Amino acid sequence: MIAPDTALTPEMAARDDIITCRGVKKWFGDFQALHGIDLVVKDREVMVVLGPSGSGKSTLIRCINRLEVHQEGDIIVDGIELTNDLRNIDKIRSEVGMVFQSFNLFPHLTVLENVTLAPIWVRKKPKAEAIDLAMALLERVGIPEQAEKFPGQLSGGQQQRVAIARSLAMEPKIMLFDEPTSALDPEMISEVLDVMKVLAREGMTMIVVTHEMGFAREVADRVVFMEDGAVVEINQPEPFFTAPESDRTKLFLSQIL
Amino acid sequence: MCTGSAIALRFFDSPTSKPGGIDRVTDTAQSSLAHSAGQKPPFWRNVTFLKWAVQIVVLALVVGAFWFLAKEARQNLVDKNLEPSFNFIEGPANFQPGEGIDTQPDTAGRALWVGMVNTLRLAGLGIVASTIMGVMVGLARLSNNWVANKAAGIFIETLRNIPVLVQIILWFAIISQLGKLTPESGKLGGSFFVTKKGISVPRIFLADGFYQWAALMVVFFAGLLFTRRKLQAKQDREGGDQKVGTKLFVLTIVAAVVAAIINPIMSFLGPVFDEFSDIWGDIPRSLMQTALSLIAIVGAVEFIRRFLNSRRTPAGLAKLDDDDWFRMIFAGLLALLAVGFFWKAWPGLSSWIIHSGSDFFGVAGDKFGDGRGARPFDAMLPTVTDGNIANYAKTGLTMTVGFTALFLGLVFYTASFIAEIVRGGILAVPKGQSEAAAAMGLNRSQALRKVILPQAFRVVMPPLGNQYLNITKNTSLAIAVGLSDVVQVGQSVYNKNNQTLAVFAIWIAFFLTLSLTISFVVNTINRKLAIVER
Amino acid sequence: MSDTQTLVTDDAEEPAASTRPEIPIVPPRRWIKENLFSSKSNGVQTVLFSALMLSIVRWLLSLIFAEASDWTSVTTNMRLLFAYNYPAAQFIRVWFCLGVIIVAAMLTMGAWNAKPEFSLRKMAISTTAGGGFLAVIWFMCTVGFGFAPLQKVDGMSSGLRLGTFLLAALLIALGLGVLNFVHEPHKIWIKFTTMLFALTGSVLGFLWLVPFGRYEFADGEVINESGTVATSTKVPWTYMMLLLVGAYFVGRWLRQFIPEANYRMVMIVWWIVGPSFLIFHVLRDPAFDMGYVFRVDVPMALAFGLGGGALLYALAKPGRGEIARAIGAVLLLFAAYNWLTAGLGSGHLFGWESMLQKARITFLMLSFAVLMAPTFSGEPAARRRFAYGWIGFIAISHWLITGINTPSTLDIAAPPFLGGFVLTLAIAYYVFLASFPLGILMALARTSKLPLFRVMATVYIEFIRGIPLITVLFFFSIMINLFLPNGMSIAELGSVFVGYTLFSGAYMAENIRGGLQAIRKGQYEASDALGLTTVQRTLLIVLPQALRVTIPNLVGQAIGTFKETSLIAIVGGFDLLRIGNSTIPAQSVFQGQKRPALLFVCFVYWVFSYSMSRASRRLETKLGVGD
Repeated sequence: MIAPDTALTPEMAARDDIITCRGVKKWFGDFQALHGIDLVVKDREVMVVLGPSGSGKSTLIRCINRLEVHQEGDIIVDGIELTNDLRNIDKIRSEVGMVFQSFNLFPHLTVLENVTLAPIWVRKKPKAEAIDLAMALLERVGIPEQAEKFPGQLSGGQQQRVAIARSLAMEPKIMLFDEPTSALDPEMISEVLDVMKVLAREGMTMIVVTHEMGFAREVADRVVFMEDGAVVEINQPEPFFTAPESDRTKLFLSQIL
Repeated sequence: MCTGSAIALRFFDSPTSKPGGIDRVTDTAQSSLAHSAGQKPPFWRNVTFLKWAVQIVVLALVVGAFWFLAKEARQNLVDKNLEPSFNFIEGPANFQPGEGIDTQPDTAGRALWVGMVNTLRLAGLGIVASTIMGVMVGLARLSNNWVANKAAGIFIETLRNIPVLVQIILWFAIISQLGKLTPESGKLGGSFFVTKKGISVPRIFLADGFYQWAALMVVFFAGLLFTRRKLQAKQDREGGDQKVGTKLFVLTIVAAVVAAIINPIMSFLGPVFDEFSDIWGDIPRSLMQTALSLIAIVGAVEFIRRFLNSRRTPAGLAKLDDDDWFRMIFAGLLALLAVGFFWKAWPGLSSWIIHSGSDFFGVAGDKFGDGRGARPFDAMLPTVTDGNIANYAKTGLTMTVGFTALFLGLVFYTASFIAEIVRGGILAVPKGQSEAAAAMGLNRSQALRKVILPQAFRVVMPPLGNQYLNITKNTSLAIAVGLSDVVQVGQSVYNKNNQTLAVFAIWIAFFLTLSLTISFVVNTINRKLAIVER
Repeated sequence: MSDTQTLVTDDAEEPAASTRPEIPIVPPRRWIKENLFSSKSNGVQTVLFSALMLSIVRWLLSLIFAEASDWTSVTTNMRLLFAYNYPAAQFIRVWFCLGVIIVAAMLTMGAWNAKPEFSLRKMAISTTAGGGFLAVIWFMCTVGFGFAPLQKVDGMSSGLRLGTFLLAALLIALGLGVLNFVHEPHKIWIKFTTMLFALTGSVLGFLWLVPFGRYEFADGEVINESGTVATSTKVPWTYMMLLLVGAYFVGRWLRQFIPEANYRMVMIVWWIVGPSFLIFHVLRDPAFDMGYVFRVDVPMALAFGLGGGALLYALAKPGRGEIARAIGAVLLLFAAYNWLTAGLGSGHLFGWESMLQKARITFLMLSFAVLMAPTFSGEPAARRRFAYGWIGFIAISHWLITGINTPSTLDIAAPPFLGGFVLTLAIAYYVFLASFPLGILMALARTSKLPLFRVMATVYIEFIRGIPLITVLFFFSIMINLFLPNGMSIAELGSVFVGYTLFSGAYMAENIRGGLQAIRKGQYEASDALGLTTVQRTLLIVLPQALRVTIPNLVGQAIGTFKETSLIAIVGGFDLLRIGNSTIPAQSVFQGQKRPALLFVCFVYWVFSYSMSRASRRLETKLGVGD
C-alpha cells in the first residue's frame, strides 16, 4: 500500500487537500476495475496518472466526476463527499471540469454556443456576460476567429482546445483530463499541451491521464503509476522517470520510452 | 499560440462560494467515521430514492387511470345489463361467413375460427406473392435496361403512394364490373376463371389421412437429418461433388410417397392423445393455481438469484446500493401480486388452461383416431354449372371478389415496398465484394449465391419482416370489401350479442400472437444469418 | 462557374457551384444503344417491358374511358369531394383558409431561405417524356395497334383527343427545342422565381382559356355546359395564384427586417397553432356568447395566466429548484386527482361543470411548467421570458379551447362540418402533431435507465405495433364513451383521433428511438460533466441531434399517416375515400358510379404523397450535403 501523501514537497504538504480518495473500489459486473485507491490531491497540484491501458486510470477520474459511481470507499472533492445526494452531485459537476479523449463537443451547436451553454443554463449567467466570458476563453486557447463555426469544421487540435474552453467556462476549481491528446494527429498534440501547460502554470488543480511523458516530466508535481486498478507508485517526475522504484513501473517505462 | 502574457482571465481564483445547504466536510477524518456510520442524504435529495419515487408514482398514475377507466366501463356495462363474458363463444353464430373452411358454423366461436383461418390464409398467400413480386420488381429496378428500370420505378412510385385501402376498394370496384359468368367467359385457360364472382383455381386440400401422414413425416425427417449429416461428412472426407442436395431431395420425395401409403400405421396415436386429454382434464383447479403461483414465485426467486450473481465478484458479494434493493423488492412484490391474482382475482385463468389443454389433446385424439387412413391430400377442379362457380368445398378453390380485391391490393402495395427493400439490400453490398469474388475465379452465379445474396439478405431481412407484419395487420382491411376475416366476423358477432369487449380481447390476442410469431421467426433467421456471416 | 448562365438574375447571390451536380451528356443514338439494345437479352427486355407497359396503359385507359364511367360524377362533385357539405354560401371561409395556408407556406420558405433550382436539361427531358406519354395516350385512343392487348381504346371524345394531341405536340416541341437549340442546357439552372411565374401563368391560362366545360352540381341538378371552368372556381384560384407569387416575395423581403431565428420561431409556432385557428375559428365560426366569455372565460384565462406567470417567475429564480419541484409535484398530484375524480361528483373545481375540462387541462399544464421552472431559471430577463411564454400559451390555448367549446353558427345539412379532403388533411395534421410529443416521450422512456419507465414504454409500443390500426379505431369509436365517466363524452371524430394518435405515437416512438440510438455516449457524458440537468441534457443536447437524424423517417411517417387516414372511412368519417366510394355512387344521378370517383381519389392521394416523398428526398440530400 502506497501512502497517499508520498513524495509531497513540504510546501505542497502544507496546502489543503482538494481531492481525497479513500479505499475506492469499483466493479463493472464481475470485473473489478478499482481495487481500493487511496489518493490525495493538493490544492493547485498537477497530478499525472500513467499506466497501461485497462489499468483503471480513466475509471478513477470518471469516479471523481461521478460519471461512474464508485461502490465502496469515499471520494471527497473540495470538502464535498460524493454520495447520491442531489445537491452534492450538482455541486461537484460545476466545480470539476473534464476534457475527454474524443472531445465530445456538441456537433449541432457552434463553438460559441458550446462554450456558453453551461454558463447560461447551469451557472444562470446573463447571455451577454456568458458570451464575453466565452470569447475571452476562446482568445485564451487561441481560436477566437472560429467562434461561429461548427465543431465539425475544425481540426482535432482546435476541437480539443474548444473542449478545454468549454470546461473552463464553468470556472471550475479542478480540471480532469482523460487522455486529451490520444485522438489527435501528432502535429496537433503540442497546441493542446501548450494550453494545458499555461493552465498548470496559473495554478489550476489538474489530474491528467496521458501518455505524453514529456508533458508529465515538465509540468507534473507528482506522477502516479497505476496497474490493474491499483496505485503502484507515486513519485515526483524526476525520480519517477530516472529511478523508478517498482519493477512494474520499470517495465512500463521501458516499453513506452 | 496563446502566450502567458495574453492571459485575460485567471481560472483558479474565482471566489470560492460556499452557499448554505452543501454538506461540506471540513475534517476529513471525522467525515470518514460519519460516513461509515451510515450518513445518508435526506430522502428528498437522495437520487436513488427520487428515481424510484418518480417511477412508482407514474406507474401508480397509469395503473390508477386504467383501473378507473375499467371500473367506469364495467359499471356502464352492468347498467346496460351487458356484463362482459366469453360465454357467447359457445352460443349460436347467427351469422354465415361468405367464405372459408365452414360457411355454416354452428357456434360463434367456430365462426371466429373461420375468420381467423381466412386471415391466416390471406396473410400467408399475401406474404408469398408479395415477396415473389417484390423481388422481381426490385431486380428489374436494378436492371441496366432502361425500359425495365423505368417500368419498375413507375410501379414502385405509383403503388406505394396510394393508400392500400383505396387500392383495395378500387380493385373491388373494377372486379365487380367484370363480365357475367358463363362456362366460356372469363376463362383464362384450363381450370382458371376470372369473373365478377372472383377467381377460381384448382384446389388441393388436406384429406383425412393428413395428420397421420404428417406424424410419419416428422419421423422420416429425423432420419433425413441424420442422412444429411452422413452425406455431408462423406462430401467433406472425399471432396468432389457428392450431389448432397439432389440426393436429399429425392429421398424426401420418396419418404413423402412412402408415408402417404403406409400412413394408417400411425393411428395408434389417437388413443394416446385421448388418454392425455383425460389426464389433463382431471387436473384439479387448485393444483393449476398452485402451479401458476409456483411459476411466479420461482420466476421472482430466479430473477433475484441471477441479479445477485451478476453483483457477485471474485472478492465476494459487491455492496448493494439502494437501486439494487429496490429492484429485488419490486420483483418480489410483482410475484406476490401475481399469486394473489391467480388465487383471488381470476381463478378462471386456471380453468381456462385446463379446458383448452384438454380440448387440444381431445382434438388431436380425434384426428389420429381409428378408421382414418385415407390419402393425405386430394385435389379438385372448379367447374361451372348454370352460371355459377360451385362452392369450392365441392370442387375448385374460389377466391371471392372481396378476397381477390384484398389480395391484389395487399400484394401490389406491399410488393412496391419490398422491391425498394430488395434494391436497397443489393446496393448495400459493397462493389468490392463482387470484384473480390470475380478475382477468386467465382463465376457470376456463384458470386451471387455465395457472396452477394448472403450479405444482401442480412440487410434485407429486418425491413422485410416489418413488411410481413404490415401485410398481416392489413388483412384486417377485409372489412371494407366484406370478406369474412377475423375482424369482420368479430364485428358481426358483437353486433348481434353486444359482447364488444370480449371480441376486442379475442382480436388483440389473435393479432398479437400472429405478430409476435412473425417477429420471432424473422429474428431467429436474422440471428442465424448473423452467425453464418461471422 | 464563369460559363454558368442563369435565365433570371433578380437575386444577387450565386448559389455555390458544389450544389449543382454535373450531369454527363450522352448523344441520343449512343444512349439508345447503351441502355436499350446493348445485348440480345437487353433487347428482349426492352421489347418485353415496352409491351407490358403499353398494355397496362391501355388497360388503364379502357378503365377511364369505359362507356360505363360517367366522369361528370367527379367533375360536378368537386366541392363535395374536397369540402363535403360545407355550405356554399359560406365558401369564402374555405378560400380564406387556403389563402392563409398559401401565404404561410411561402413565408416559411422565406424563413428558411428556400429557393430550389431546377436543371433546364432535366426539365426539358421531363417535358419531352410527358409529351411522349400524352402522345402514346392519343395514339391508343385514336389508332391502336389492332391486336388483342393493344387494341384501340374507344370512348375518348374528339375534343379531348384534339386537346391531348395539341398538348403532346406542344410539350414535345418545347422539350426537344430546348434540348437541341439551347446552348449547353445542362449548365443552366432555372430560378425558383421563374418557375413560380411560369406555374402561375400556365395555371391561369388553363383556367381562363382552355374549354374544359363548366360543371356544377347543386340540389340534385347537374349543370354541364361548354366553356371554361365555372367562375366560382377560376376567380378564387386566380387570387390564390397571385397570393402565391406575392407572398413568396414578401417572405423574402421580410428576411431583411426580422432576425432569422425569430422568423423561423414565429413560423413554427404558426404551424402548430394556426391550423387550429383556421379550422375552429374560421371554418367552424363559433357563436361566442360574449356575456359568458367575459363573465367566465376571460377571468379564468387571466387568473391562470397572471397567477401562473407570477408563480413561475418566482420559482424560476436560481436556487429555488427544490421548492419548485416540490410545488410542481404537489400540483401534478392534484391535477391527476382531478382527472381521476372528474365526473364522480366529488372532484368539481369551482363547481363549474362546463369549465371543468379547461381548468383541468390548464392545471396539468401548469404543474408541468412549474416542474420545468428550475430548468429555465436564470437572470430576471430569462425568468420574465419564461413567464411571458406561459401567459402567451394560456392566451392562445384558452382562446382556441373556448372556440372549440362554443357552438357553431354554420347551418350544415349533416353534422360534421369537416369532410372530404379537408377532413383527411385535418386528421393527418392533428394526428401527426399530437403523436409527435407522445412519440418523443415514449422513445425517451424506452431508452431510459429507469427500468419501470422502460417496461411501460416497451409494453405500450410493442402492444400497439402488434395490432392493426382498424381494431384500434373500432375500439375507440365504439368503446371510448363506455370508458368515460358520466357527463364526459368525446365526439365520434374526436375518439377516432385519440385512437389514431395513440397508434401513430408507438410508431413515432420507434422512429425517434432510432435517432436516439445514433447519439454517441460521449455526448451524454460531456453534458453531465458540464453539470446540465437531465431535462436540460435532453432538451438541449439529445433531442436536437436525435430529431435531425430522424427527419427523413419522420417525413416517411407523415406520408404513412396521411395515407392511413383513409381508414376513417370505415369507422364513419366522411373523408375523401368515403365520399368517392359511397356518397357519390348513392346520388340518384350517378347511381353506382364508383370507378371514376375512386380513380380520382387515387390520383389525389398519389399527388400529395408523391410530392411529399420527393420533397423529403430533396431534404435528405440537402441535410446530407449540409453536414
